[in-house]
Amino acid sequence: MTGSSLFVPLTVGLAFGVALERAGLGSARKLIGQFTLTDFTVFKVMFSAIVTAMLGSFWLGRLGLIDLSAVYVPETYVLPQAIGGLVFGIGFVVSGLCPGTSCVAAASGRIDGLAVVGGIFVGILGTGLAFPSIQSFYDSTSRGTWLLPDVFHLSYGAAVLVIVLIALGGFRLVEYLECRP
Amino acid sequence: MTRGLAAAALLLGGLAGIAGQPVATARGEIDVNHLASTIARERDHVDAIDLARWIRDGKQGLRVVDVRPPAQFENYRLPAAENIPLDKLGLAVFAPSDTVVLYSGGGAHAAQAWVLLRALGLRQVFFLSGGLDEWVNDVMRPLLPDDATPGEKAAFQSTAGISRYFGGTPRTGPRPAAGSTDGTDAAARLKRRGC
Amino acid sequence: MTAGSEPARYADPYLAGVGLGLVLLASYVVAGRGLGASGAFASAAGGLVQAVSPAYAAANGYFSRYVGPGVSVWQDWLVLEIIGACFGGWLSARLAGRVRWEAERGADVTIPARLMFAVLGGAAMGIGAVLARGCTSGQALTGGALLSVGSWIFMLTAFAGAYALSPLIRGAWR
Repeated sequence: MTGSSLFVPLTVGLAFGVALERAGLGSARKLIGQFTLTDFTVFKVMFSAIVTAMLGSFWLGRLGLIDLSAVYVPETYVLPQAIGGLVFGIGFVVSGLCPGTSCVAAASGRIDGLAVVGGIFVGILGTGLAFPSIQSFYDSTSRGTWLLPDVFHLSYGAAVLVIVLIALGGFRLVEYLECRP
Repeated sequence: MTRGLAAAALLLGGLAGIAGQPVATARGEIDVNHLASTIARERDHVDAIDLARWIRDGKQGLRVVDVRPPAQFENYRLPAAENIPLDKLGLAVFAPSDTVVLYSGGGAHAAQAWVLLRALGLRQVFFLSGGLDEWVNDVMRPLLPDDATPGEKAAFQSTAGISRYFGGTPRTGPRPAAGSTDGTDAAARLKRRGC
Repeated sequence: MTAGSEPARYADPYLAGVGLGLVLLASYVVAGRGLGASGAFASAAGGLVQAVSPAYAAANGYFSRYVGPGVSVWQDWLVLEIIGACFGGWLSARLAGRVRWEAERGADVTIPARLMFAVLGGAAMGIGAVLARGCTSGQALTGGALLSVGSWIFMLTAFAGAYALSPLIRGAWR
């Protein structure tokens, strides 16, 4: 990579780290609050971010300012992602942090963050070493680039609207839950 | 502040639902005289045999595009063909160095797609004027008439070779009746039948 | 932790979320891809394996996706992004007076116990991230905003798994 293209990921990463830390997501106690239903910061931050990026990318595409089809969309592997998600979620609630936030926590001096970083590294290393035995499962149920509008027979924009409504509804619900202890 | 953000999200989301797709409308410009002259000089289409040669020889940048609906494409397709249904053509991406050959069942949609891609600025675009029917007749089942001249017989060697390359079956038989697809005949048939 | 200075309050979560979303959007526009985290860990793991045995790394179906001859881990997009995130996290914490050596844990939990759960939970996330081709940053956020079905499946099952186990960990965070 050239100097300028080293600059992009470093800068994007910097902003990413700042945003996570500002939101308080570098704190395991705060993250766990989501799962004990006492602190809904995780939900609010995640879905505000998703809605912002989703609406932003839709409209930049619609106005011809970017080519949305040129942005990399992760492919779908139904079973591995479902099972992987479950296992990941269990790990999340046991450790109190996720890969991105563990780095922010570690960078803020949190020893538990450092331990989570180490655990993730070991987990990925081990899984990679055991890859031959999981490879057929890993490659199974591939659907390629598969989008929600295709599944639900909606236009892209209609799917966007539905997600916005779900997010806003979720925010309403969460505000209500927070007001009655 | 957050109320304002929520309202903005709702507005943008609602408009997105109306807008439909995250792509700008594809605008094209048509130089009618230039296109008309290209069509008149027959530089807009290719023969099935020429296309077959291009595919066999692995012509650089060749893109064979089937503009029919996916179900028909699944049913039968040309070798090396990709499926871009007509209504998705505006969203497709072609490189300037591509040579695009469009085809459809009979050729009409491919001819229309030709105009659309030319309007979007593509230069190296052609269509198979007789469509899949022409491919089947001229490449998969080429006919050497019983009364063929020596010149026609010599030319047929090459055609038969290409046909066999694609798993076709060259055949011989009586020359098809002259004028069986003559325009004046068709008009006469229409007159008898009435409109 | 310097005496006498109060740590700043966290930002409003909605505003912080919009900020995060704008960072994600900027990444789509400038780099043609979104954010991630677990991929950087995979590159690091691959780098270690390659340092021990380049032949094995090249033959391994997983690590060969991240490392190879002439492919430097230090030039990987995600690795650089995570380095940036570490620095950004530190910078933000520093400015807010939130940098401190600490093992965050519940009142009844010892530090060794907390660290053990941190490592075990991390390992589970590592396994899950390999299978799912990402984590909350790469899948839930990035893929979620691009409406990828697999990303939403991951997001929903991850939350489901976390909530399913949450009654068991309640006691650890009093």
